[in-house]
Amino acid sequence: MGMLQPTQDAELINRKASKKGKTDKDLLKRNKIIESEPDTEKREMETDSKRPTQNPTELNLQPVKFQCQISFQFDLASLICLVVGIATRFYNLTQPHSIVFDELHYGKYVSLYMKRTFFFDSQPPLGKQLIALAAYIGGYTGDFKFVAIGAAYPENFPLFAVRFIPALCGALLPVSVYYLLLQLGLKQLTAATAAFLILFDNALLTQSRFILMEPMLLLFSVFGLYCLLKFIRCRESPYTFAWFAWLIVGLFSLTAAVCIKFVGLCSLLLGFYVVWRDMWSLVANKNLSIWSLVSQALVRAVVLFAVPVALYLSLFHVHLSILNKAGPHDSVMTSAFQASLEGGLASITKGQPLQIAHGSQITLRHSHGRTCWMHSHAAVYPVRYPDKRGSSHQQQVTCYSFKDVNNWWIVKRPSRSDLAVSRPIDAIKDGDIIQLVHGMTSRALNSHDVAAPVSPQNQEVSCYIDYNISMPAQNLWRVDIINKDQVGDVWHTIESMVRLVHVNTSQALKFSGKQLPDWGFNQHEIVTDRVVIQDDTVWNVEEHRYTKSDDQKERERDMVHAEMIPTRPTTLSFWDKIVELHMKMLFSSSDTLQDHMYSSQPLDWPLLSRGIAYWVNTTTNAQVHLIGNVAIWYSGTIAIFSYCVLLVWYLCRMRRKIYDISADEWARFDLVLEIALFGYGINMLPYFCVERTLFLHHYLPALVFKIVLLAAFTEHALTVARSCRWSNLIYWPLQILFASWLLMILYVFVQFAPLSYGCSSFTVQQLLSLRWRDSWDFIMQRSALDVDMLL
Amino acid sequence: MSELKESTKPAAKKSSKEWWFAFGVIVVATLLTRLYKIAEPEHVCWDETHFGKMGSWYIKRTFFFDVHPPLGKMLIGLSGYLTGYDGQFPFEKPGDVYENVNYLGMRLFCTLLGAATVPFAFVTVWELTESLEASFLASTLFLLDVGLITLNQYILLDPILLFFVMGSVLGMAKVGSQTYKEFSAQWYFWLVWTGVMLAGSISVKFVGLFVVLLVGLHTASQLWNILGDTSQPLTHVLKHFVARALCLILLPILLYVCFFYVHLKVLNHTGNGDGFYSSAFQSQLIGNSLHNASMPREVSYGAVVSLKNHRTGGGYLHSHWHLYPEGVGAHQQQITAYTHKDENNKWAIKPITEIEQDDKDEVQILRHGQYVRLEHMVTKRNLHSHKEPAPMTRKHLQVTGYGENGTGDANDVWVVHIDGGVKNQPVLTVTSKFRLIHHLQKCVLTTSGKQLPKWGFEQQEVSCNPNFRDKNALWNVEDNFSPKLPNVTVQVYAPSFWERFLESHAVMLQGNAGLKPKEGEVTSKPWQWPINYKGQFFSGNQYRIYLLGNPVVWWSNLGFLALFCSVYFFQLLRHQRSPEVRSHEHKKLAAGVWLLVGWALHYFPFWIMGRVLYFHHYFPALMFNSMLSGVIISYTLEAVKELLAEKVAFVIRHSLLGVFASSLAYSFYLFAPLAYGMTGASGNDPNSTMQSVRWLESWEF
Repeated sequence: MGMLQPTQDAELINRKASKKGKTDKDLLKRNKIIESEPDTEKREMETDSKRPTQNPTELNLQPVKFQCQISFQFDLASLICLVVGIATRFYNLTQPHSIVFDELHYGKYVSLYMKRTFFFDSQPPLGKQLIALAAYIGGYTGDFKFVAIGAAYPENFPLFAVRFIPALCGALLPVSVYYLLLQLGLKQLTAATAAFLILFDNALLTQSRFILMEPMLLLFSVFGLYCLLKFIRCRESPYTFAWFAWLIVGLFSLTAAVCIKFVGLCSLLLGFYVVWRDMWSLVANKNLSIWSLVSQALVRAVVLFAVPVALYLSLFHVHLSILNKAGPHDSVMTSAFQASLEGGLASITKGQPLQIAHGSQITLRHSHGRTCWMHSHAAVYPVRYPDKRGSSHQQQVTCYSFKDVNNWWIVKRPSRSDLAVSRPIDAIKDGDIIQLVHGMTSRALNSHDVAAPVSPQNQEVSCYIDYNISMPAQNLWRVDIINKDQVGDVWHTIESMVRLVHVNTSQALKFSGKQLPDWGFNQHEIVTDRVVIQDDTVWNVEEHRYTKSDDQKERERDMVHAEMIPTRPTTLSFWDKIVELHMKMLFSSSDTLQDHMYSSQPLDWPLLSRGIAYWVNTTTNAQVHLIGNVAIWYSGTIAIFSYCVLLVWYLCRMRRKIYDISADEWARFDLVLEIALFGYGINMLPYFCVERTLFLHHYLPALVFKIVLLAAFTEHALTVARSCRWSNLIYWPLQILFASWLLMILYVFVQFAPLSYGCSSFTVQQLLSLRWRDSWDFIMQRSALDVDMLL
Repeated sequence: MSELKESTKPAAKKSSKEWWFAFGVIVVATLLTRLYKIAEPEHVCWDETHFGKMGSWYIKRTFFFDVHPPLGKMLIGLSGYLTGYDGQFPFEKPGDVYENVNYLGMRLFCTLLGAATVPFAFVTVWELTESLEASFLASTLFLLDVGLITLNQYILLDPILLFFVMGSVLGMAKVGSQTYKEFSAQWYFWLVWTGVMLAGSISVKFVGLFVVLLVGLHTASQLWNILGDTSQPLTHVLKHFVARALCLILLPILLYVCFFYVHLKVLNHTGNGDGFYSSAFQSQLIGNSLHNASMPREVSYGAVVSLKNHRTGGGYLHSHWHLYPEGVGAHQQQITAYTHKDENNKWAIKPITEIEQDDKDEVQILRHGQYVRLEHMVTKRNLHSHKEPAPMTRKHLQVTGYGENGTGDANDVWVVHIDGGVKNQPVLTVTSKFRLIHHLQKCVLTTSGKQLPKWGFEQQEVSCNPNFRDKNALWNVEDNFSPKLPNVTVQVYAPSFWERFLESHAVMLQGNAGLKPKEGEVTSKPWQWPINYKGQFFSGNQYRIYLLGNPVVWWSNLGFLALFCSVYFFQLLRHQRSPEVRSHEHKKLAAGVWLLVGWALHYFPFWIMGRVLYFHHYFPALMFNSMLSGVIISYTLEAVKELLAEKVAFVIRHSLLGVFASSLAYSFYLFAPLAYGMTGASGNDPNSTMQSVRWLESWEF
């Protein structure tokens, strides 16, 4: 890449030189590209009349010389970035030699990959796959158990390999940002400044040194954007190899970011915007026919759609085909999904008879949401509830979250009295009326117009006991198979999703989500509900076997010593799996809302109110603490604010036909605005709307864009200062200020670097002297301190 | 520029007779549809139980707490007061029969405000497009929507809110249309009108903020245009800016504050909302135990106190005989925070050793840094914490009531730490904010604000936070009974109006954020609204009212929304292709853009709201959508006229309009019983008359 850059620039320079004097707008001003000479002339006159004070020729020739001179320096800068990046990220990489923060989760996932055991995570798999790949090459077998933060890794653990990918991505990030800024049309100095800021931000450094996802996310986002900017440089020659290559590689990289964490979607959207913006400006180009525009729009749309979808799906395909063994997270998924994994439920359900028939013994699982099975036991509802309502005093029916012999029910047709399954089997179809008899107590599932214990608006469900008190049994249920279009209208084990509708009242059997009090052993309540169509009324058969004997005692013995006869395994297509997995990924996250010692709010981030303690050595106080470089973070926040103010100022002035900066400078200002400020916004604002536990590291994508903006802002400030009336008065002081600012950043970095590397021990006094803000909670031995110091 | 407008005006004025005729028809039809059966049903419907009750409280001057700002309820109260309602009806629950209560005044008031939205829509669209056709169509869509009729006929905040929202949009259109010469008296009138309406919207419900945003954006774009006119000096721009800042920013803020001032002045008696507010706030309410209270200034050992948490809306430290259930930490007595006043909020302050107290007869004042035990007066158990996770916030430690008759163990010892205090500083009643730090566990007594489940009676969780920097860990002594110390009048800390104003807001925001859907509760989702997926029962049993939009209006609205977006995008594309084509600046399209923005601003924010949502939240957005439909239909018909030969166009135009109008009218006829009341069999019953119009399974009437 480093080789490619100068040659392209040289070409650009040549083109500029050939148009010299006329190219007030270079390629950067994409939306006003000049195609034909007459048009140019016209625009030229317009611009000239509007900007009488500027001489575009001079402005343009200067960069030409400048670039020619420093094309060597250019490579050197990126090389230095790379070397320093590798040095800082890889220094003492295997220290601390114990589990740091979220390594606990990601490490666990890597182990599960090694063991090919299915796990459930609410984020896509690419990041974990990459790390697992590195671990695999490093020779890791997945035997280490990730138990708790701070637990030491064993000596033979390939820690370097496992931490290698994030560190590598972290080391490549400064270089990528450097090239991104060059693509934005900014100077080498600016690009180098941005790379410098990335290199010496403590938070980015800390995050890159452990098994964490952010370094990969950031690298893929930045690199993808760089490629797309390259792509719109090729707009003159569509459908060439370079055009396709940059577009596809860019989208590939941005999609990879999405596949690491869903927040990568923000960058992907920004990428879409870049492509769209370019297309929109092409519309104004009269040299292109309508048809060529339409075809180009179509091609872009197809690529924009196909590349992300293809990559995303294939990564999930890899994910699901690697993880084919049952594991601890199985119960999150539906029975069908579980049954498709090796071991686990599959080993129990394999070979179950497929069709439910009269005489089938089944367990009924609540299909969506909480995992539990319909259950009954020899205990009755209390006669009166604390709120004075009465109950039917019949046998309790609950939803129980554990496997139990009391979860067995026998399907029975009302007309028959025998229970054994005889050939040919009497299969139950959609719409059939059945009774469900509880296996251990032989009582039938019943519902009636009595308010349910915890949800009085619903009907109670019980197992009928005949007290002879003019309360007849209402134990008929209709089987509604919801997905009969896919699985046919015979009731199948696992595959068929059914609703059981109570015949007398037309209400559906429902899991109410509420827990019963002590008398119900804190199991969950089952009711019937007037609203039939809802997720909580959906059930499926999980375990199934045919009744062999009509004798009650023998049946019970059978249930207790259940044994399966294998016939054929359950399979689930890739599409079914991926759909189910995504439903669970998208809708399960709401359950995980709990606060954390070190969680923070989006408003805390720009001013760095809180860090996160990642790891601590309790004897030496050596610790890893995620905290940014305050000098960078604060100046970034100021830069964003100033940029917005300047923007409003320039827009208002231009509205009054007063032009403070050259068209060239304005185009650059605008482009930085659209990439960096939009990028910052789109990576930041969504967090104000999500209801999740948030951490400082969620801010890092926004931080990268903030740094880009900050660097661009320094260039803008210096350029304006140089071209303004008092330039000889303020330009030099500004430069000195700039240099000392860089030095200050370096100083802060060095101060806080021990918190990134976690190698050096601290005294409490040293830690307190680093606590520049009261709200930074470094971990220290509490006993040594007074309450007032902690407040 | 304004002169130029004046000259084009007569053309529009020419048809003024026609205009008044159309307007008259709309007004009469509106009154007919809205006032029909207004007195029925003669019982409390749906949320009338809340807002009727709150209106009554204004009449009785009793303080209460609500998550909405006060104006709507004040107006309801005022209208009731003026029409002779005495505020005595309890509005206990939906379905209570009014009998001799004079409720009609309040209903009529709300209905009339709600009805005003229809003529408002007419004038707004007229000002935006100057097309009689568009105005008529838009207001007809308002007129024939049964949902709007249902929502407008009862004692609710929504008719009032809709009135103010439409009023603001009307003002915005009037100011924007340049009918009036800038800075003329009429121009100022409409600017002030807009400001007043904006203040009204935001003072009825906080969703009024969306219309403020809309008007703000519109004003900014106007100022932008004025700024672009370089023939005018900068001072001209400045004048415009100042005029708008005064009328649209300063005036609404002033009015908003005034409404609160009236609210706090009127409600000066103690009521059921006291506990949500700080001790100082309560001391201002007549009848409250803190009003003109006299109690000891200092807190001493042996005193019986109630402890109020300092977070906004925080409760009193509370305990009761019930234990934490099995599996939730230790099986000991519950400690909670409770926002209502209760005997169970009383705690005795004791020294850590009994002997110390008995030895000395003199009073010992409680000071910063001293050790205490807190004994619950009713159950005689001590405030206790230990190394068990708290029930909700697992990172905190559990707080329990422990011990028998006041004898506990070493885990009952707490240190009093006054916020910013120095050694030996005494703890003062109400004014001292302090922390209670657990001596052994090194954690601080706090409340997380989370509701406990049913076993905790949905009171707030109290826990012990190991992180001392918890903002909610501050408490103050509210009631203080100490026989040994002299009572003094504690009136010194009367909060100013501004302090009360700010506190009201903090409590309201907290209340709003707390309106989370409960576990297992089926709530309305924003995606269901535009497609009219599910309605809302207003009244059940014999006389059923069901809030549901007219599906023809709602579904065609969505179609027209899509049509507008595609037309506008197409015109933009044309402009981008050749800048001289400026067809996207067509008056109707420009009007449509603002209506679209209005719709989006009133709809999309609900997607990211965590609170409980209801179907009726969509109605402001619906109004914008209906207006947009009127505009885009009229635009399309105009385009048809231009594209086709005159005769063909005439036929197409009239047949299209005819079909649309008749299907609207017919659907109104079909669905009107939803608003005016259904008697007889329910919609589930196949014999019911409404069965045939149950087009969607999800409609439950």
